[in-house]
Amino acid sequence: MAAIELVHITKSFGPKTVIQDISLDVQDGEFLVLLGPSGCGKSTLLRMLAGLETVSGGEIRLGGRRIDQLPPSDRDMAFVFQSYALYPHMTVRRNITFPLIMRRFRWWFHIPLLGGLGKRRIEKLPEVSDRVDRTAKILGLTDMLDSHPRTLSGGQRQRVALGRAMVREPEVFLMDEPLSNLDAKLRTTMRAEITKLHREVGGTFVYVTHDQVEAMTMGTRIALMRDGVVQQYGTPREFYQNPTNTYVARFIGTPPMNLIHATAGNGALQVGQTRLAAPTHLAAVTAGSDRPVLLGLRPNAIEPVGQGGAEILAGRITLVEHVGADTILGVRLDGAVTAHDDEGAPSSDVMVTVPGYSLLALGDTVGLRTTLDDAVLFSPETGQRL
Amino acid sequence: MGALSLRQGLHLAAILGLLGAAAFPLYWMFVTSLTPSAELFADRARLLPTLSEAAAYREVFRTIPVATWLINSAIVATGTTVLSIALAILPAYALSRFRFRGKGVFGFALFATQMLPEAMLVVPLYGIFAQISLLDSLTGLILANTAFTVPVITWILKGAIDGIPIEVEEAARIDGCSRIDIVLAVVVPLVAPTLAAASVIAFFHGWNEYVFAQTLVSSEALRTASVGLAGFVGELSTPVHSVMAVSVIYTLPAVIFYLFVQRYVVSGMTAGSVKG
Amino acid sequence: MADERLHGSAWTPYLFMAPAAAYLLFFQGYPLIEELYLSFTSTSLLSPRDHTWVGLDNYRDLLATSDFHHVLWITALYTAACVVLSIGLGLLAALLLDESFPGRAIARTLVTIPWAAPPVAVALVYIWMYNAQYGIFSRTLRALGIASGTENWLDDPSLALPAILLTTVWQIFPFASVVILAALQGVSKEQREAAVIDGADRLSVFAAVVWPTIRPTVALLALFITIWSLRRFDLIWLMTQGGPIGATNTLVIELYRQAFVYRDLGRAAAVGMIGLGTALATTLVYFRYTQRAERARGND
Repeated sequence: MAAIELVHITKSFGPKTVIQDISLDVQDGEFLVLLGPSGCGKSTLLRMLAGLETVSGGEIRLGGRRIDQLPPSDRDMAFVFQSYALYPHMTVRRNITFPLIMRRFRWWFHIPLLGGLGKRRIEKLPEVSDRVDRTAKILGLTDMLDSHPRTLSGGQRQRVALGRAMVREPEVFLMDEPLSNLDAKLRTTMRAEITKLHREVGGTFVYVTHDQVEAMTMGTRIALMRDGVVQQYGTPREFYQNPTNTYVARFIGTPPMNLIHATAGNGALQVGQTRLAAPTHLAAVTAGSDRPVLLGLRPNAIEPVGQGGAEILAGRITLVEHVGADTILGVRLDGAVTAHDDEGAPSSDVMVTVPGYSLLALGDTVGLRTTLDDAVLFSPETGQRL
Repeated sequence: MGALSLRQGLHLAAILGLLGAAAFPLYWMFVTSLTPSAELFADRARLLPTLSEAAAYREVFRTIPVATWLINSAIVATGTTVLSIALAILPAYALSRFRFRGKGVFGFALFATQMLPEAMLVVPLYGIFAQISLLDSLTGLILANTAFTVPVITWILKGAIDGIPIEVEEAARIDGCSRIDIVLAVVVPLVAPTLAAASVIAFFHGWNEYVFAQTLVSSEALRTASVGLAGFVGELSTPVHSVMAVSVIYTLPAVIFYLFVQRYVVSGMTAGSVKG
Repeated sequence: MADERLHGSAWTPYLFMAPAAAYLLFFQGYPLIEELYLSFTSTSLLSPRDHTWVGLDNYRDLLATSDFHHVLWITALYTAACVVLSIGLGLLAALLLDESFPGRAIARTLVTIPWAAPPVAVALVYIWMYNAQYGIFSRTLRALGIASGTENWLDDPSLALPAILLTTVWQIFPFASVVILAALQGVSKEQREAAVIDGADRLSVFAAVVWPTIRPTVALLALFITIWSLRRFDLIWLMTQGGPIGATNTLVIELYRQAFVYRDLGRAAAVGMIGLGTALATTLVYFRYTQRAERARGND
């Protein structure tokens, strides 16, 4: 198994540049998630890895070897499509065996009847059929080997697609939003199965998704992309605790990190009427004269308390959502605004997550106590972390 | 402009070859029509047209009743189109929307009529037309041709009506329209592109038709272009270039008409009739 | 269904079908019945009102003559060749036109022009092109150093059928290419890519992904072309009248000859019925085949 290197990759379709300049190193055995909204370029990047799109600039290396000029079948990578792309006129067994047959292809396989016999002979070879049976067993497909894809459910088809990829025992598995077509419950099950697969098979996985929950739960490393530029590349923990900019901060987490307009200066943070002492890790940034910042606080770093008191923010409840074990409260701050609107218009609602079933109701006035241990500061102009 | 790869070059060459093969006979028709007799029978063939010979066309119109033929063909084609569509709309709607006893049979019968050659029905039709004095009339031709186009057009229109959501009709019904109103005022406008395709098919059938025009019509004044042109086969007195000129005059309207409406024909036919 | 939701009367469907049904019954149904009747009689073109009932004699005589066997053979040959060549060329053209290249839209339109040309005009220009001395085909062959015969191609028993085929295929293959091109649009891009990644070369991608998807359309196309070939009259009659020595004598041509050359309307009708039977049989075989293919590929 090998490491993947993306070296200064750019991609343009005609005059339009979709990938600006991406350089990434993927370790052997990594589960890399390419995360981002539609159109950010993540699928394009994946397809360039596979060889389904050409590379406009830069190099792709696998185990030190340059592969971006190679055709897809020579790259030792398997691809799982969003729509599974199974061959509907072949049985499940033949679908899974197909790559192995292609590897052993002879020119006379093209002849209609003779070729069919040749292919069937390959299918029956012990080393081939054993591998297929093994793969089917791992994925729970043994009973369906002689069925056709159209008789299978979405989850089963998914597994056949995985089987077709696995049977090649490739160095790299590429997956393009494979769970998007499944319903929510099935998605949760399959997520666990794919993660388990990664542990058992041990290859390098590159997985594209727009769902940040999938990214955070499945990935060992995440690359969040926006408009062809990588916003941040790191572990899920780094994403959660140290987002590099406001975009990343607002992309990860449900509900995402709050961004509150504040003034930082002289070792303190002024939020509206309330003055909060700066935590130690932000001491350097908050020293010096006052300047505007965005204070990033996770919803669980805020708790509703009685009103009044030092370092307590004031607000009114605008939203109450009971989600199982927690309650999500939306609080409109008095005298402070948030930067949550994607269009840049100022809004005022801070999201607070409270464990248990909160008895607070719409319209209640509350005080909010903040825990600044994990707070992050961003520049209001650039969005970058300070 | 980047350099072409070998594969792209071969591909383009193949396309050009294909287009050449498709266009050549018609091109040759045109060239021959403008080539004076002397050159036609010379040792070396002329490959490019001499436009100076365009006067030959005027000569053709003078000596051969081409204008009459074309007008007759146009009358037959137009009549066939109008009558076919008028007759096909209601059955197309019925086959699409209704469920009734005999529907399958009628559907199959429509399809089966596609297998009938005109040559087979021409003799009985002659007898029938003789009895009801429809012989030697363009009306008779229109009536005979329409019988052959109605099935195809019904089939295509049915396919198009299948694609229109029933909700549109329900809304009209709530507004108080009767069924016929709904069909004519609501459904028909919505299948306009397919109607265009159907018109083209019917028109071409009427324009191209030969057997009936030959057998059921005898007077020269009512001769259609297909029959007139066919009369030159084996006949030696008319010069080749004149025959070709008549061919061009007969072909040109059809091809030009086709080029204008072809995008509807393709989508109309492939959407409705050929389903996988 | 529609009528329940729109509350029509039960008679409405029949009223809608009635005009067209009546029309077709009169202009096609009735002549067809008359042909059926005629086929059991001995009737001359000169006195078409006098019918002598002869039962199955016409059929028996036809099926016994080797000339008629030859007609059947020529018809089968012509039809099979039309189907194979038109679809083959149409497939090739569709594949060529499927990839993108400058001027693709124009090319797609231009390639269909032969279909728009009237058969009578096509017949005439091809007759001229097949001329032994002055036709462009002969001239080209001579220029290339290949000797051509002294007869017009259409008068040469071994060249006549190929010549007719060339003309016919030239007219039909554009239609085949348009239909197949439309079917090609339905081929899943991702399936193609999956096959490429699995290591399939272009031909294997075609066999594994493209062909299975377009096969039903091609089958339907084959059916249509078969039925049209059984009907095709204008081109063949004008170019060879079924000759030379019956080399291009298909069922329809024979029908016409029996009626207007031999003046035997009864015999002509019998030929027509046999032709119709053949077309119906082909259609039934086609539907049986597609039903079975659907079932084999798994139920939906």
